[in-house]
Amino acid sequence: MDILTVSNISKRFGSVRALQEVSFSVPEGSVYGILGPNGSGKTTLLGIVTDVIRADSGSYALPGSGTAPNYELRKKIGTLLETPNFYGYLSGYDNLLITANIKGVSREEIDPVLVKVDLYERRFSKFGNYSLGMKQRLGIASALLGDPQVLILDEPTNGLDPEGIAEIRNLVRELGASGHTVVIASHLLDEVEKVCTHAAILKSGRLLADGRVDEIMARGDTVEMSAADTPALMRLLADNFPGERLAADGETVLLTISEGHADTGAINSLCHANGIVLTKLALRKLSMESKFLEIISETRNDSRQ
Amino acid sequence: MTNLLKLEWLKIRRYRAFMWLLGFFVVSMFGICYIVWVARGGMSAAAGPAADMLIGNVFDFPSVWQTVSYLTSYLLFIPGLIIILLTANEYSFRTHRQSVINGLSRGQFMLGKIWLIVVGSLLVTVLVFIVGCIFGFRGRHAFSMEELENLGYFFIQSLTYMSAGLVLVMIFRRSGVSIGIYFLYCFILKNMLAALMNFRLHGGSGNYLPVKSADKLIQAPSAVGRAMDIHLSDTGIMLAVSLVWIVVFLWFSMRRFKTSDL
Repeated sequence: MDILTVSNISKRFGSVRALQEVSFSVPEGSVYGILGPNGSGKTTLLGIVTDVIRADSGSYALPGSGTAPNYELRKKIGTLLETPNFYGYLSGYDNLLITANIKGVSREEIDPVLVKVDLYERRFSKFGNYSLGMKQRLGIASALLGDPQVLILDEPTNGLDPEGIAEIRNLVRELGASGHTVVIASHLLDEVEKVCTHAAILKSGRLLADGRVDEIMARGDTVEMSAADTPALMRLLADNFPGERLAADGETVLLTISEGHADTGAINSLCHANGIVLTKLALRKLSMESKFLEIISETRNDSRQ
Repeated sequence: MTNLLKLEWLKIRRYRAFMWLLGFFVVSMFGICYIVWVARGGMSAAAGPAADMLIGNVFDFPSVWQTVSYLTSYLLFIPGLIIILLTANEYSFRTHRQSVINGLSRGQFMLGKIWLIVVGSLLVTVLVFIVGCIFGFRGRHAFSMEELENLGYFFIQSLTYMSAGLVLVMIFRRSGVSIGIYFLYCFILKNMLAALMNFRLHGGSGNYLPVKSADKLIQAPSAVGRAMDIHLSDTGIMLAVSLVWIVVFLWFSMRRFKTSDL
């Protein structure tokens, strides 16, 4: 079952097209990363599915849509959108009390979430006196109130120190492992790679890629090869892998497979059958960051052509 | 309704500015009535029956209802100011977004503000009643519920002032600008425009202006005061006009919040 289905959502702010017909689905139980550079539309998209922003066109559906109004469904979703928004003159506890009242959650659940985010000792301090990291942690506490099955977190590690970032990463992993669905928007690709099972990549309001992280990473496997006869190797690969990207970097030949995984065994067999002995054969493992930059730059090149 | 009011109470119970302004309102309300009561007593001592004829027993039952309502109406900008501050806080802290994100519908959020205005108006009206009783029981006549409709008019007037504050914040989203325009209109522009309209157009047309119509619900309590008001108005018409303005303010506020990006 899909927890969230986004269908052809578009949004314009004046002359700026923030989102252009974005569609994807978030499977239940996944940790779904929404990735993109600043200004790609991540927060706008999350703002639309939380009813903070009105889409110009398109729609979204939560489980239960049609049987209950969206605002009732949102009570069961824990959300942290951009910076945490609380009353500066109220304490952390009082702010969570307001959240609990809106969500219909008992006040007894407030202390445990404050403990979880390490704010229990400062719960009666005014929110306006919190540091940036403490404010962020209170926002996460607010999202966790009521133990929602779905969480939407927009840049949850903003303002956190490395220890805090690690704690959030572990928390997201735990939530994912225990069957919660987490939608996490971030530009920290290293963090996303460590915790996400699925991802959607946005740039300039357009969806460039979406699906399982391992599938996205598999797109464009690059194989590094070397042989004594580099031109012969290049000719062989060009004949057998038409349309794929082939480049030579000195004596190293780079073959990039656009779809699916690269089968290095098959490549080795092919070369051997054609009398080419490979002196080097390696699959270049891309990090999420490299893959992200590659996808972004492909789009840039396509648009320039 | 109770849930929404409880939410509003959780927001304001520790808001110091609210407590100060409320306290200032209560003290001023009693103070202004006390000053006039003392002055009335002084006039009576100085001028005797002539003062009674010109000014009347304005602090005796049942006139005290009109007197206290009329005098307190000059302070209704304070509850309006409270509404402006409380609503503008939502924009400056961006908690209006957070409330919607957490599961409040946009309509419920605004309903909370509207209920706050209604309950606030009820409370200040009850305060007027209490102050009226305090002064009335010190008078010469027995308790009377006659002319109690002035408290009803006061309630409508309070609703008008507070709704006007709300609609300004919904338009400008900033407390400073909203307060400035609110004061400018309530203390200066309203009366200037009304005078201009009364002079240029049909006499009494200025009474149809926003907030001005509510001001006309309760007439000055003494004969002198009434004589100074050139354009006495039909209370029934002013009541209808005031209700229309209240509906317009609240409808616009609701519509604006429901349709705009937060």
